[in-house]
Amino acid sequence: MSVHKNTYRAYTGPVTPLWMRVFVLARYGFAEAWSSKITITLFTLSLLPVIVFLVGIYLANNPIAQSLILKNSHRMLTVDASFFLGALQMQSWIALVLTAWITPRLISFDLADNALPILLSHPISRFGYLFGKFIAIFGSLSVVTWVPCLLLFVYQCYASTQPWAAANLSIAAGMFVGAIIWIGFLSILGLALSSWVKWRVVATAVIFGAVFVPAGVGAIVNAVLRTQWGLLLNIPVTMSVLWQRLLGAPEFLRRGSSLPTTAIVAVLVLACLLCLAMLNARIRAREVVRG
Amino acid sequence: MNQTTSSFRKRVMQQPWDLWWIQALRLTRIEVKRNLFSWRASWIYFLAFIPTLIILIHVAVGRRLQLSMDDDTEILAGIIQFYYIRLGIFFGCLGIFSRLIRGEMIERSLHFYFLSPVRREVILLAKFAAGSISALLLFGSAILADFILTYTVFGATGHDYIFNGPGLGQLEAYLMITVLACLGYGAVFLLLSLIFKNPTPAAMIVMGWEAINPIAPSLLQKISVASYLRHLMPVNVPAEGIFALLTVQTEAESVWTATLGLLVLIVLVLVYSCYRIRTFEIRYTTE
Repeated sequence: MSVHKNTYRAYTGPVTPLWMRVFVLARYGFAEAWSSKITITLFTLSLLPVIVFLVGIYLANNPIAQSLILKNSHRMLTVDASFFLGALQMQSWIALVLTAWITPRLISFDLADNALPILLSHPISRFGYLFGKFIAIFGSLSVVTWVPCLLLFVYQCYASTQPWAAANLSIAAGMFVGAIIWIGFLSILGLALSSWVKWRVVATAVIFGAVFVPAGVGAIVNAVLRTQWGLLLNIPVTMSVLWQRLLGAPEFLRRGSSLPTTAIVAVLVLACLLCLAMLNARIRAREVVRG
Repeated sequence: MNQTTSSFRKRVMQQPWDLWWIQALRLTRIEVKRNLFSWRASWIYFLAFIPTLIILIHVAVGRRLQLSMDDDTEILAGIIQFYYIRLGIFFGCLGIFSRLIRGEMIERSLHFYFLSPVRREVILLAKFAAGSISALLLFGSAILADFILTYTVFGATGHDYIFNGPGLGQLEAYLMITVLACLGYGAVFLLLSLIFKNPTPAAMIVMGWEAINPIAPSLLQKISVASYLRHLMPVNVPAEGIFALLTVQTEAESVWTATLGLLVLIVLVLVYSCYRIRTFEIRYTTE
Protein backbone atom coordinates (compact mmCIF):
# COMPACT_ATOMS: atom_id res chain seq x y z
CA MET A 1 0.00 0.00 0.00
CA SER A 2 1.45 3.35 -0.90
CA VAL A 3 2.12 5.80 1.86
CA HIS A 4 -0.18 8.56 0.60
CA LYS A 5 -3.22 6.31 1.09
CA ASN A 6 -2.70 6.33 4.90
CA THR A 7 -5.03 8.72 6.63
CA TYR A 8 -3.64 10.07 9.85
CA ARG A 9 -6.01 10.71 12.71
CA ALA A 10 -5.76 11.73 16.32
CA TYR A 11 -4.98 9.14 19.00
CA THR A 12 -8.23 7.94 20.53
CA GLY A 13 -6.93 5.58 23.22
CA PRO A 14 -6.81 6.24 26.97
CA VAL A 15 -4.99 9.45 27.87
CA THR A 16 -2.97 10.05 31.06
CA PRO A 17 -4.90 12.49 33.28
CA LEU A 18 -3.53 16.03 33.20
CA TRP A 19 -2.41 16.04 36.85
CA MET A 20 -0.61 12.71 36.41
CA ARG A 21 1.59 13.89 33.52
CA VAL A 22 4.09 15.68 35.71
CA PHE A 23 4.75 12.41 37.52
CA VAL A 24 5.99 10.91 34.24
CA LEU A 25 8.69 13.57 34.15
CA ALA A 26 9.32 13.12 37.86
CA ARG A 27 9.74 9.36 37.36
CA TYR A 28 12.26 9.86 34.55
CA GLY A 29 13.95 12.55 36.64
CA PHE A 30 14.36 10.11 39.52
CA ALA A 31 15.74 7.49 37.17
CA GLU A 32 18.24 9.99 35.73
CA ALA A 33 19.29 11.24 39.16
CA TRP A 34 19.79 7.81 40.68
CA SER A 35 21.39 6.22 37.61
CA SER A 36 24.75 7.72 38.60
CA LYS A 37 27.06 5.74 40.86
CA ILE A 38 28.18 8.99 42.47
CA THR A 39 24.59 9.70 43.57
CA ILE A 40 24.46 6.28 45.23
CA THR A 41 27.84 6.92 46.86
CA LEU A 42 26.73 10.33 48.14
CA PHE A 43 23.51 8.82 49.48
CA THR A 44 25.48 6.07 51.27
CA LEU A 45 27.85 8.68 52.74
CA SER A 46 24.86 10.73 53.87
CA LEU A 47 23.79 7.83 56.07
CA LEU A 48 27.08 7.76 58.01
CA PRO A 49 26.28 10.81 60.18
CA VAL A 50 22.83 9.33 60.83
CA ILE A 51 24.49 6.19 62.20
CA VAL A 52 26.69 8.35 64.45
CA PHE A 53 23.62 10.22 65.76
CA LEU A 54 21.81 6.91 66.20
CA VAL A 55 24.67 5.62 68.36
CA GLY A 56 24.52 8.90 70.28
CA ILE A 57 20.82 8.39 71.05
CA TYR A 58 21.51 4.80 72.10
CA LEU A 59 24.29 5.90 74.45
CA ALA A 60 22.24 8.76 75.89
CA ASN A 61 19.42 6.39 76.81
CA ASN A 62 21.54 3.52 78.06
CA PRO A 63 23.35 4.36 81.34
CA ILE A 64 25.29 1.07 81.35
CA ALA A 65 26.67 1.58 77.81
CA GLN A 66 27.34 5.23 78.64
CA SER A 67 29.37 4.31 81.73
CA LEU A 68 31.31 1.69 79.78
CA ILE A 69 32.17 3.87 76.79
CA LEU A 70 32.36 7.36 78.32
CA LYS A 71 34.25 6.19 81.42
CA ASN A 72 36.21 9.29 82.35
CA SER A 73 33.97 11.84 80.73
CA HIS A 74 32.05 14.11 83.08
CA ARG A 75 29.93 15.42 80.24
CA MET A 76 26.48 13.86 80.06
CA LEU A 77 25.20 13.00 76.61
CA THR A 78 21.76 14.59 76.27
CA VAL A 79 19.32 14.32 73.41
CA ASP A 80 17.62 17.70 73.10
CA ALA A 81 16.86 20.40 70.53
CA SER A 82 20.59 21.15 70.07
CA PHE A 83 21.28 17.48 69.33
CA PHE A 84 18.61 17.35 66.61
CA LEU A 85 19.74 20.76 65.30
CA GLY A 86 23.19 19.23 64.76
CA ALA A 87 21.65 16.28 62.92
CA LEU A 88 19.52 18.57 60.74
CA GLN A 89 22.48 20.85 59.90
CA MET A 90 24.69 17.91 58.97
CA GLN A 91 22.06 16.33 56.73
CA SER A 92 21.20 19.68 55.16
CA TRP A 93 24.79 20.34 54.06
CA ILE A 94 24.93 16.87 52.57
CA ALA A 95 21.73 17.80 50.73
CA LEU A 96 23.58 20.78 49.22
CA VAL A 97 26.26 18.46 47.83
CA LEU A 98 23.58 16.14 46.46
CA THR A 99 21.76 19.11 44.86
CA ALA A 100 24.94 20.29 43.15
CA TRP A 101 25.40 16.81 41.71
CA ILE A 102 21.80 15.86 40.81
CA THR A 103 20.12 19.08 39.61
CA PRO A 104 22.41 19.76 36.63
CA ARG A 105 21.76 16.17 35.48
CA LEU A 106 18.02 16.84 35.49
CA ILE A 107 17.95 20.02 33.47
CA SER A 108 21.30 20.81 31.80
CA PHE A 109 21.12 17.80 29.48
CA ASP A 110 17.70 18.90 28.17
CA LEU A 111 19.01 22.39 27.49
CA ALA A 112 22.39 21.36 26.08
CA ASP A 113 20.76 18.91 23.66
CA ASN A 114 18.02 21.40 22.67
CA ALA A 115 15.44 18.89 23.89
CA LEU A 116 13.04 21.42 25.40
CA PRO A 117 11.09 22.10 22.16
CA ILE A 118 10.46 18.35 21.80
CA LEU A 119 9.50 17.90 25.46
CA LEU A 120 7.21 20.91 25.51
CA SER A 121 5.54 19.88 22.25
CA HIS A 122 3.99 17.06 24.30
CA PRO A 123 0.77 17.87 26.17
CA ILE A 124 2.63 19.28 29.16
CA SER A 125 3.05 22.90 30.22
CA ARG A 126 6.27 24.70 31.16
CA PHE A 127 5.03 24.69 34.76
CA GLY A 128 4.34 20.94 34.51
CA TYR A 129 7.85 20.33 33.17
CA LEU A 130 9.45 22.28 36.00
CA PHE A 131 7.16 20.79 38.61
CA GLY A 132 8.09 17.28 37.47
CA LYS A 133 11.80 18.11 37.81
CA PHE A 134 11.11 19.78 41.16
CA ILE A 135 9.40 16.64 42.47
CA ALA A 136 12.38 14.54 41.38
CA ILE A 137 14.95 16.70 43.18
CA PHE A 138 12.71 17.40 46.18
CA GLY A 139 12.03 13.69 46.64
CA SER A 140 15.72 12.83 46.33
CA LEU A 141 16.68 15.44 48.92
CA SER A 142 13.91 14.34 51.28
CA VAL A 143 15.58 10.94 51.54
CA VAL A 144 18.69 12.53 53.08
CA THR A 145 17.11 15.31 55.18
CA TRP A 146 13.78 15.13 56.98
CA VAL A 147 13.26 11.37 56.58
CA PRO A 148 16.42 10.33 58.50
CA CYS A 149 15.96 13.20 60.98
CA LEU A 150 12.43 12.11 61.81
CA LEU A 151 13.58 8.49 62.03
CA LEU A 152 16.14 9.62 64.63
CA PHE A 153 13.32 11.36 66.50
CA VAL A 154 11.18 8.22 66.39
CA TYR A 155 14.12 6.15 67.67
CA GLN A 156 14.62 8.60 70.55
CA CYS A 157 10.91 8.31 71.40
CA TYR A 158 11.29 4.53 71.44
CA ALA A 159 14.59 4.41 73.33
CA SER A 160 13.80 6.99 76.01
CA THR A 161 12.97 5.51 79.39
CA GLN A 162 10.94 8.60 80.29
CA PRO A 163 7.81 9.80 78.45
CA TRP A 164 9.56 12.01 75.88
CA ALA A 165 7.64 12.30 72.63
CA ALA A 166 4.67 14.43 73.69
CA ALA A 167 6.82 17.05 75.39
CA ASN A 168 9.18 17.34 72.40
CA LEU A 169 6.87 17.18 69.40
CA SER A 170 7.84 20.75 68.55
CA ILE A 171 11.37 19.49 67.76
CA ALA A 172 10.00 17.03 65.20
CA ALA A 173 7.74 19.69 63.69
CA GLY A 174 10.66 22.17 63.59
CA MET A 175 12.93 19.64 61.91
CA PHE A 176 10.28 18.79 59.34
CA VAL A 177 9.45 22.42 58.50
CA GLY A 178 13.13 23.48 58.54
CA ALA A 179 14.12 20.64 56.21
CA ILE A 180 11.20 21.31 53.86
CA ILE A 181 12.12 25.01 53.60
CA TRP A 182 15.76 24.15 52.93
CA ILE A 183 15.19 21.46 50.33
CA GLY A 184 12.48 23.54 48.63
CA PHE A 185 14.94 26.45 48.40
CA LEU A 186 17.77 24.20 47.21
CA SER A 187 15.55 22.60 44.56
CA ILE A 188 14.44 25.92 43.10
CA LEU A 189 17.97 27.38 43.30
CA GLY A 190 19.49 24.29 41.68
CA LEU A 191 16.93 24.22 38.86
CA ALA A 192 17.31 27.97 38.17
CA LEU A 193 21.09 27.92 38.09
CA SER A 194 21.23 24.72 36.04
CA SER A 195 18.82 26.21 33.51
CA TRP A 196 21.13 29.19 32.97
CA VAL A 197 24.34 27.21 32.72
CA LYS A 198 24.38 24.85 29.79
CA TRP A 199 27.35 22.83 30.97
CA ARG A 200 26.81 20.37 33.81
CA VAL A 201 30.42 20.82 34.95
CA VAL A 202 29.93 24.55 35.39
CA ALA A 203 26.45 24.20 36.89
CA THR A 204 27.83 22.07 39.75
CA ALA A 205 30.40 24.78 40.60
CA VAL A 206 27.86 27.58 40.23
CA ILE A 207 25.49 25.96 42.77
CA PHE A 208 28.28 25.79 45.36
CA GLY A 209 29.41 29.31 44.45
CA ALA A 210 25.85 30.66 44.81
CA VAL A 211 25.80 29.50 48.43
CA PHE A 212 29.36 30.33 49.53
CA VAL A 213 30.28 33.49 47.58
CA PRO A 214 27.32 35.60 48.87
CA ALA A 215 28.35 34.48 52.37
CA GLY A 216 31.77 36.05 51.79
CA VAL A 217 30.21 39.16 50.26
CA GLY A 218 27.89 39.43 53.29
CA ALA A 219 30.88 39.25 55.62
CA ILE A 220 32.55 42.09 53.67
CA VAL A 221 29.36 44.18 53.86
CA ASN A 222 29.26 43.61 57.63
CA ALA A 223 32.89 44.51 58.15
CA VAL A 224 33.18 47.46 55.76
CA LEU A 225 29.80 49.11 56.31
CA ARG A 226 29.71 48.32 60.05
CA THR A 227 26.31 46.64 59.90
CA GLN A 228 24.82 43.23 60.66
CA TRP A 229 22.48 43.03 57.65
CA GLY A 230 25.20 41.48 55.50
CA LEU A 231 24.50 38.26 57.40
CA LEU A 232 21.28 37.99 55.39
CA LEU A 233 23.43 37.16 52.34
CA ASN A 234 25.05 34.35 54.30
CA ILE A 235 22.75 31.41 53.53
CA PRO A 236 24.55 28.96 55.88
CA VAL A 237 24.13 31.37 58.82
CA THR A 238 20.56 32.49 58.04
CA MET A 239 19.40 28.90 57.64
CA SER A 240 21.12 27.86 60.85
CA VAL A 241 19.38 30.71 62.71
CA LEU A 242 16.03 29.72 61.21
CA TRP A 243 16.48 26.04 62.13
CA GLN A 244 17.62 26.96 65.62
CA ARG A 245 14.44 29.03 66.14
CA LEU A 246 12.20 26.37 64.63
CA LEU A 247 13.63 23.71 66.94
CA GLY A 248 13.82 25.98 69.98
CA ALA A 249 17.59 25.46 70.41
CA PRO A 250 19.79 28.08 72.17
CA GLU A 251 20.93 31.12 70.13
CA PHE A 252 24.44 30.81 68.71
CA LEU A 253 24.78 34.32 67.26
CA ARG A 254 25.85 37.13 69.59
CA ARG A 255 22.98 39.20 70.93
CA GLY A 256 23.99 42.28 68.91
CA SER A 257 24.12 40.42 65.60
CA SER A 258 20.81 38.59 65.87
CA LEU A 259 18.64 38.54 62.76
CA PRO A 260 14.84 38.96 62.75
CA THR A 261 12.99 35.90 61.48
CA THR A 262 10.86 38.00 59.13
CA ALA A 263 14.01 39.35 57.44
CA ILE A 264 15.34 35.79 56.96
CA VAL A 265 12.03 34.62 55.49
CA ALA A 266 11.86 37.72 53.26
CA VAL A 267 15.35 37.01 51.88
CA LEU A 268 14.45 33.38 51.18
CA VAL A 269 11.21 34.40 49.45
CA LEU A 270 13.05 37.03 47.37
CA ALA A 271 15.71 34.49 46.38
CA CYS A 272 12.99 32.01 45.35
CA LEU A 273 11.17 34.69 43.31
CA LEU A 274 14.43 35.58 41.57
CA CYS A 275 14.99 31.88 40.78
CA LEU A 276 11.43 31.60 39.41
CA ALA A 277 12.05 34.64 37.19
CA MET A 278 15.25 33.01 35.93
CA LEU A 279 13.38 29.78 35.20
CA ASN A 280 10.58 31.67 33.45
CA ALA A 281 13.11 33.38 31.19
CA ARG A 282 15.03 30.24 30.38
CA ILE A 283 12.56 27.35 30.21
CA ARG A 284 10.99 28.00 26.82
CA ALA A 285 10.35 25.87 23.75
CA ARG A 286 13.07 27.40 21.62
CA GLU A 287 16.23 26.16 20.04
CA VAL A 288 19.42 28.17 19.93
CA VAL A 289 21.40 27.66 16.74
CA ARG A 290 24.79 29.37 16.54
CA GLY A 291 27.07 29.68 13.59
CA MET B 1 79.81 13.02 33.13
CA ASN B 2 80.93 16.18 31.32
CA GLN B 3 80.24 14.51 27.98
CA THR B 4 76.69 13.61 29.08
CA THR B 5 76.05 17.16 30.28
CA SER B 6 77.35 18.70 27.10
CA SER B 7 75.33 16.33 24.92
CA PHE B 8 72.22 17.13 26.97
CA ARG B 9 72.90 20.86 26.61
CA LYS B 10 73.43 20.43 22.88
CA ARG B 11 70.15 18.55 22.60
CA VAL B 12 68.31 21.24 24.53
CA MET B 13 69.78 23.99 22.37
CA GLN B 14 68.76 22.13 19.21
CA GLN B 15 65.08 22.29 20.13
CA PRO B 16 62.97 24.82 18.14
CA TRP B 17 62.53 27.23 21.07
CA ASP B 18 61.80 30.21 18.80
CA LEU B 19 58.98 28.36 17.10
CA TRP B 20 57.52 27.19 20.43
CA TRP B 21 57.73 30.71 21.81
CA ILE B 22 55.83 32.17 18.83
CA GLN B 23 53.21 29.41 19.01
CA ALA B 24 52.78 29.93 22.75
CA LEU B 25 52.44 33.69 22.30
CA ARG B 26 49.75 33.33 19.63
CA LEU B 27 47.81 30.78 21.70
CA THR B 28 48.09 32.90 24.82
CA ARG B 29 46.79 35.98 22.99
CA ILE B 30 43.74 34.07 21.71
CA GLU B 31 42.97 32.62 25.14
CA VAL B 32 43.40 35.91 27.00
CA LYS B 33 40.90 37.56 24.64
CA ARG B 34 38.43 34.73 25.25
CA ASN B 35 38.92 34.87 29.00
CA LEU B 36 38.64 38.62 29.44
CA PHE B 37 36.42 39.95 26.68
CA SER B 38 33.58 37.45 26.43
CA TRP B 39 30.11 37.74 27.94
CA ARG B 40 30.69 34.44 29.74
CA ALA B 41 33.53 35.98 31.74
CA SER B 42 31.30 38.64 33.30
CA TRP B 43 30.76 36.63 36.48
CA ILE B 44 34.50 36.65 37.16
CA TYR B 45 34.41 40.46 37.01
CA PHE B 46 31.62 40.28 39.60
CA LEU B 47 33.70 37.97 41.85
CA ALA B 48 36.73 40.26 41.58
CA PHE B 49 35.11 43.66 41.90
CA ILE B 50 32.20 43.15 44.33
CA PRO B 51 34.41 44.05 47.36
CA THR B 52 35.56 47.15 45.43
CA LEU B 53 31.94 48.18 44.98
CA ILE B 54 31.25 47.72 48.71
CA ILE B 55 34.36 49.74 49.63
CA LEU B 56 33.23 52.43 47.17
CA ILE B 57 29.91 52.66 49.03
CA HIS B 58 31.92 52.84 52.25
CA VAL B 59 33.96 55.73 50.81
CA ALA B 60 30.74 57.49 49.80
CA VAL B 61 29.21 57.22 53.28
CA GLY B 62 32.53 57.11 55.15
CA ARG B 63 32.47 60.74 56.18
CA ARG B 64 29.47 60.07 58.37
CA LEU B 65 31.14 57.15 60.19
CA GLN B 66 33.79 57.28 62.88
CA LEU B 67 36.59 55.55 61.02
CA SER B 68 39.88 54.25 62.31
CA MET B 69 42.73 53.44 59.98
CA ASP B 70 43.80 50.47 62.05
CA ASP B 71 40.32 48.97 61.78
CA ASP B 72 40.18 49.53 58.02
CA THR B 73 43.68 48.07 57.55
CA GLU B 74 42.55 44.96 59.41
CA ILE B 75 39.32 44.78 57.40
CA LEU B 76 41.25 45.02 54.11
CA ALA B 77 43.57 42.23 55.26
CA GLY B 78 40.48 40.18 56.21
CA ILE B 79 38.91 40.76 52.77
CA ILE B 80 42.06 39.51 51.07
CA GLN B 81 42.67 36.60 53.43
CA PHE B 82 39.10 35.35 53.72
CA TYR B 83 37.25 36.55 50.64
CA TYR B 84 39.81 36.70 47.83
CA ILE B 85 41.97 33.71 48.73
CA ARG B 86 39.22 31.41 50.04
CA LEU B 87 36.35 32.35 47.70
CA GLY B 88 37.00 34.95 44.99
CA ILE B 89 40.28 33.72 43.53
CA PHE B 90 39.32 30.10 44.31
CA PHE B 91 36.07 30.13 42.33
CA GLY B 92 37.47 32.53 39.72
CA CYS B 93 40.43 30.26 38.98
CA LEU B 94 38.12 27.24 39.04
CA GLY B 95 36.08 28.86 36.27
CA ILE B 96 39.00 30.15 34.22
CA PHE B 97 41.34 27.17 34.40
CA SER B 98 38.71 24.40 34.19
CA ARG B 99 37.45 25.96 30.98
CA LEU B 100 40.87 25.89 29.32
CA ILE B 101 40.84 22.14 28.62
CA ARG B 102 37.50 20.77 29.87
CA GLY B 103 35.58 23.68 28.33
CA GLU B 104 37.16 22.91 24.94
CA MET B 105 36.12 19.28 25.42
CA ILE B 106 32.52 20.29 26.08
CA GLU B 107 32.50 22.68 23.13
CA ARG B 108 34.04 19.89 21.05
CA SER B 109 36.84 22.10 19.80
CA LEU B 110 39.90 20.64 21.53
CA HIS B 111 40.78 18.46 18.54
CA PHE B 112 41.46 21.60 16.46
CA TYR B 113 44.34 22.39 18.81
CA PHE B 114 45.55 18.79 18.93
CA LEU B 115 45.47 18.44 15.14
CA SER B 116 47.58 21.56 14.63
CA PRO B 117 51.38 21.09 14.42
CA VAL B 118 51.97 22.32 17.97
CA ARG B 119 53.37 20.26 20.81
CA ARG B 120 50.75 19.47 23.41
CA GLU B 121 52.99 20.77 26.19
CA VAL B 122 53.18 24.12 24.39
CA ILE B 123 49.37 24.22 24.15
CA LEU B 124 48.98 23.41 27.84
CA LEU B 125 51.58 25.90 29.06
CA ALA B 126 50.22 28.63 26.75
CA LYS B 127 46.73 28.03 28.08
CA PHE B 128 48.05 28.12 31.64
CA ALA B 129 49.86 31.39 30.92
CA ALA B 130 46.68 32.87 29.40
CA GLY B 131 44.57 31.79 32.39
CA SER B 132 47.16 33.21 34.79
CA ILE B 133 47.34 36.55 32.94
CA SER B 134 43.53 36.84 32.94
CA ALA B 135 43.20 35.97 36.63
CA LEU B 136 46.07 38.26 37.60
CA LEU B 137 44.73 41.21 35.62
CA LEU B 138 41.27 40.85 37.16
CA PHE B 139 42.11 40.08 40.77
CA GLY B 140 45.29 42.17 40.86
CA SER B 141 43.50 45.28 39.63
CA ALA B 142 40.59 44.59 42.01
CA ILE B 143 42.95 44.38 45.01
CA LEU B 144 44.78 47.52 43.88
CA ALA B 145 41.45 49.36 43.62
CA ASP B 146 40.40 48.05 47.07
CA PHE B 147 43.65 49.28 48.57
CA ILE B 148 43.46 52.74 47.03
CA LEU B 149 39.79 53.19 47.95
CA THR B 150 40.33 52.03 51.54
CA TYR B 151 42.91 54.76 52.23
CA THR B 152 41.34 57.48 50.03
CA VAL B 153 38.72 58.15 52.69
CA PHE B 154 41.46 59.18 55.19
CA GLY B 155 42.83 61.96 52.94
CA ALA B 156 46.32 63.21 53.84
CA THR B 157 46.72 60.66 56.66
CA GLY B 158 45.96 57.85 54.22
CA HIS B 159 48.45 59.27 51.69
CA ASP B 160 51.07 59.46 54.42
CA TYR B 161 50.32 55.87 55.51
CA ILE B 162 50.81 54.60 51.95
CA PHE B 163 53.91 56.55 50.92
CA ASN B 164 55.69 57.18 54.21
CA GLY B 165 54.36 54.29 56.28
CA PRO B 166 53.91 50.54 55.83
CA GLY B 167 51.20 50.96 53.12
CA LEU B 168 53.30 50.30 50.01
CA GLY B 169 54.92 47.25 51.60
CA GLN B 170 51.48 45.84 52.44
CA LEU B 171 50.25 46.49 48.89
CA GLU B 172 53.31 44.71 47.52
CA ALA B 173 52.61 41.73 49.80
CA TYR B 174 48.92 41.60 48.80
CA LEU B 175 49.81 41.66 45.10
CA MET B 176 52.42 38.95 45.66
CA ILE B 177 49.80 36.82 47.45
CA THR B 178 47.38 37.38 44.55
CA VAL B 179 49.98 36.29 41.99
CA LEU B 180 50.85 33.15 43.94
CA ALA B 181 47.19 32.33 44.66
CA CYS B 182 46.24 32.65 40.97
CA LEU B 183 49.20 30.53 39.85
CA GLY B 184 48.74 27.95 42.61
CA TYR B 185 44.99 27.43 42.27
CA GLY B 186 45.33 27.71 38.48
CA ALA B 187 47.85 24.88 38.28
CA VAL B 188 45.75 22.69 40.58
CA PHE B 189 42.49 23.27 38.67
CA LEU B 190 44.16 22.81 35.30
CA LEU B 191 45.39 19.41 36.47
CA LEU B 192 41.97 18.50 37.91
CA SER B 193 40.31 19.37 34.59
CA LEU B 194 42.74 17.03 32.86
CA ILE B 195 42.01 14.18 35.26
CA PHE B 196 38.25 14.46 35.86
CA LYS B 197 35.33 14.88 33.49
CA ASN B 198 33.67 17.07 36.12
CA PRO B 199 36.43 18.79 38.14
CA THR B 200 34.01 20.59 40.49
CA PRO B 201 33.56 17.80 43.10
CA ALA B 202 37.34 17.46 43.24
CA ALA B 203 37.64 21.25 43.57
CA MET B 204 35.20 21.18 46.48
CA ILE B 205 37.38 18.52 48.10
CA VAL B 206 40.36 20.86 47.55
CA MET B 207 38.33 23.63 49.23
CA GLY B 208 37.61 21.35 52.19
CA TRP B 209 41.26 20.28 52.26
CA GLU B 210 42.41 23.92 52.34
CA ALA B 211 40.05 24.52 55.28
CA ILE B 212 41.10 21.52 57.37
CA ASN B 213 44.74 21.52 56.25
CA PRO B 214 46.18 23.16 59.40
CA ILE B 215 45.15 20.22 61.56
CA ALA B 216 46.99 17.85 59.21
CA PRO B 217 50.61 16.74 59.89
CA SER B 218 53.25 19.28 58.81
CA LEU B 219 54.26 17.21 55.78
CA LEU B 220 50.68 17.20 54.44
CA GLN B 221 50.45 20.96 55.02
CA LYS B 222 53.04 21.38 52.26
CA ILE B 223 50.46 20.35 49.65
CA SER B 224 48.11 23.24 50.21
CA VAL B 225 48.06 26.62 48.48
CA ALA B 226 46.42 28.61 51.29
CA SER B 227 48.85 27.37 53.94
CA TYR B 228 51.78 28.97 52.05
CA LEU B 229 49.85 32.19 51.45
CA ARG B 230 48.95 32.61 55.13
CA HIS B 231 52.62 33.14 55.97
CA LEU B 232 52.89 35.97 53.46
CA MET B 233 50.06 38.09 54.92
CA PRO B 234 51.48 41.44 56.09
CA VAL B 235 48.66 42.01 58.61
CA ASN B 236 47.52 39.28 60.96
CA VAL B 237 43.74 39.10 61.19
CA PRO B 238 42.34 37.58 64.38
CA ALA B 239 39.57 35.13 63.52
CA GLU B 240 36.17 35.52 65.08
CA GLY B 241 32.64 34.37 64.35
CA ILE B 242 32.15 32.67 61.01
CA PHE B 243 35.71 33.51 59.95
CA ALA B 244 36.99 31.31 62.77
CA LEU B 245 35.76 28.28 60.84
CA LEU B 246 38.05 29.18 57.96
CA THR B 247 41.01 30.37 59.98
CA VAL B 248 43.98 28.35 61.07
CA GLN B 249 47.05 28.83 63.24
CA THR B 250 50.33 27.27 62.10
CA GLU B 251 53.98 27.78 62.88
CA ALA B 252 55.50 30.80 61.16
CA GLU B 253 57.56 30.31 58.01
CA SER B 254 59.84 32.82 56.32
CA VAL B 255 58.54 34.66 53.25
CA TRP B 256 61.16 33.04 51.03
CA THR B 257 60.37 29.53 52.25
CA ALA B 258 56.63 30.06 51.71
CA THR B 259 57.12 31.58 48.23
CA LEU B 260 59.62 28.96 47.09
CA GLY B 261 57.48 26.16 48.55
CA LEU B 262 54.45 27.30 46.59
CA LEU B 263 56.47 27.82 43.40
CA VAL B 264 57.87 24.28 43.70
CA LEU B 265 54.31 22.98 44.17
CA ILE B 266 53.15 24.87 41.04
CA VAL B 267 56.08 23.57 38.95
CA LEU B 268 55.45 19.99 40.11
CA VAL B 269 51.75 20.21 39.23
CA LEU B 270 52.55 21.72 35.81
CA VAL B 271 55.17 19.08 35.03
CA TYR B 272 52.67 16.34 35.88
CA SER B 273 50.00 18.11 33.76
CA CYS B 274 52.43 18.18 30.80
CA TYR B 275 53.00 14.46 31.30
CA ARG B 276 49.21 13.82 31.44
CA ILE B 277 48.40 15.83 28.33
CA ARG B 278 50.80 13.74 26.23
CA THR B 279 48.48 10.74 26.66
CA PHE B 280 45.24 12.75 26.87
CA GLU B 281 42.43 11.23 24.79
CA ILE B 282 39.45 13.08 23.38
CA ARG B 283 36.14 11.27 23.81
CA TYR B 284 33.42 13.74 23.01
CA THR B 285 30.67 11.12 23.24
CA THR B 286 31.15 10.71 26.99
CA GLU B 287 30.97 14.45 27.74
